[in-house]
Amino acid sequence: MSFPSILVVDDDREDQLILEEYFADIGVSSQVKYLDNGETTISFLEGTANADELPKLIVLDLNMPVLNGTQTLIYLKRTVRYKNIPVIIFSTSENDDEKRKCLSYGAVDYLVKPMTWDEGHAIAKKLASYIDN
Amino acid sequence: MKEIVKVNLENEMDLILAHKRAMKLGELSGLSLLIQTSLATAVSEIARCAIEHGKNSSLLLAVDAEKGRKVLKAVIRDTSDFSAECIEAAMYAKRLVNDVVVTKSPRDFQVVLKQEVNFQGLLSDNKIQSFIDYFESEPPISAYDELRRKNIMLQDFAEKLRESDSDYKILTDSLPIMMFSASNRGIITFTNKWLRDFLHTVPTELAGSAWQTIIHPSEFSSFNKELQNAVARQISFNAEYRLRENDSEDYVWHLFSIIPIKNEKQMVTRWTGLIVDINPQKLVEQTLKDNKELQETQKELFHNQEELQKKVIELNRSNHELEQFAHLATHDLQEPLRKLFYYSDTLKRKYSASLDPSAVTVLNNMASAATRMKELINDLLNYSRLQKQNVPFEEVNLNATLIEVLKDLDIPIREKNATINIPVIPSLIGNELRLRQLFNNLISNSLKYSRTDVSPEITIDVTTNDDHIVVKVRDNGIGFEEKHKERIFGLFERLHTREQFPGTGIGLSICRKIVELHHGRITADSVLNEWSEFEITLPLTQVTTTETADLQ
Repeated sequence: MSFPSILVVDDDREDQLILEEYFADIGVSSQVKYLDNGETTISFLEGTANADELPKLIVLDLNMPVLNGTQTLIYLKRTVRYKNIPVIIFSTSENDDEKRKCLSYGAVDYLVKPMTWDEGHAIAKKLASYIDN
Repeated sequence: MKEIVKVNLENEMDLILAHKRAMKLGELSGLSLLIQTSLATAVSEIARCAIEHGKNSSLLLAVDAEKGRKVLKAVIRDTSDFSAECIEAAMYAKRLVNDVVVTKSPRDFQVVLKQEVNFQGLLSDNKIQSFIDYFESEPPISAYDELRRKNIMLQDFAEKLRESDSDYKILTDSLPIMMFSASNRGIITFTNKWLRDFLHTVPTELAGSAWQTIIHPSEFSSFNKELQNAVARQISFNAEYRLRENDSEDYVWHLFSIIPIKNEKQMVTRWTGLIVDINPQKLVEQTLKDNKELQETQKELFHNQEELQKKVIELNRSNHELEQFAHLATHDLQEPLRKLFYYSDTLKRKYSASLDPSAVTVLNNMASAATRMKELINDLLNYSRLQKQNVPFEEVNLNATLIEVLKDLDIPIREKNATINIPVIPSLIGNELRLRQLFNNLISNSLKYSRTDVSPEITIDVTTNDDHIVVKVRDNGIGFEEKHKERIFGLFERLHTREQFPGTGIGLSICRKIVELHHGRITADSVLNEWSEFEITLPLTQVTTTETADLQ
């Protein structure tokens, strides 16, 4: 893999592994890169040379150290180079206010982290669908 | 004209005196014996006529200057004109002295005899003064003369005394001070006008009971004690009392003062007293004192307020910390719980083939426990979020909100076959999301705590006042005992076991919190096994606040 199509930004290693298992099942593992906070994500993006090297989707956890999900989302949506990359929020929180806020900042979707195997499977499929677009 | 001596002309004795004094003045002025005798005889002639025919005659001997020369003058005066009776005498007198002049006016008749003095230099001012002194200290000529002189002196003194007494009266009456005197036996002998005007009823005795109607009732006993003491010990006394003005109901602050007057043997001969109006000073004093008290109260109040402010800040801080803790704790609890849930589900899904049925039951129980914990955490998180948030207000159409709530509760409403009556509710300023949660919780509760013997009926009733609305949510459910009507709003308070009614005991706490966020209040009332009613009072308008954005 040269450039990842999906960036999963989550400091929770277990959640990374859960997603990884589904991505492996679907066969897209090689196109997914995992990062653990907003800052490492931004430096990764800054390191890309051309626009076609940018990911097709960024998945953001909200509760992260250094630069949290909301702050990262706002940064991405205010930066011309990155504002067109779709961002999906991936959080434990089921709070409606939180969801509304993230959508108003420009997230394309707000997905609550899975409680069941089926939910996890559905989420992985939804994320993978962005690779082909 | 320099007056030397005067003689009243009333009887024969006066005639002798007039003659004698005219002779003496002539002698002192250096006239020859012949001329002395001529002058004295002329004076006698006219004086005799005055005594016989006049009414109020007197003789004045004087020294005057006419055309640069000194002249002795004898002036006989009367209030009535007796010239007709003394024509002969005047003719005779004219032959004896240099000149006789008669002047008349309606109330004054004068005969002036003039005799020039030869030795002008002799009559210097000092010399003339010595003449006056001579006649003043002139030895009495007779017992009569002596008596007469003393009588005149006495009359003069009496006149002066009368004048001074009258001066004193004018002075004391015009002073804005009450003054009185009392004899050594305490009888009041003098009062000035101010005192009489002010007191109306004037005491007759210094230590008399008359003061009782004058001094303020609350001060009389102390006044009386002090006064009796001062009188008995013959010492001065002064103190401040309120005196009744002119038999009215008004009492005015006065300084009351009495002083014993003693003679050279230290015996009290009389008392003088002063009563001075000090009401303005008292008022100023009182105002200053009140002001000081006010300032102190204000200071204390300010201090208390500061203390309170500190306590509020402290309380807010610990409250805030508690909220932070609750929020973080629940949020962080959610994460491992979700995983617990997820892994048990994954285990069941992926490995069901290798698990026996009792292992699946264990996994199901685990999932059910995790679900309850998740509900609890969600409720707690919602509650702590209510504490934390700065709620934005907007216009809320409560009818639309209630319709949404009924949609959300469509399944249980249908399951329970419930009837819900909603009136037309006016719009108000509030937070739509929170109000929706409020009514959702209340209606859910009514559905949940319904009786099995009747279909649930929930009625919402609204009354609108000037600035607030009162919403009543009433059901025909199981209700609760009167004594629990406050307790049910407490956090984690539950009246039933989980087997009877599942729940976290947070729902009504959230309701109360939401109502408080809207600056309203919520109360409950019920009859066990009959009905329960929740009454919510909400203001129609709010002081709008803006939500703090999550931009850091």
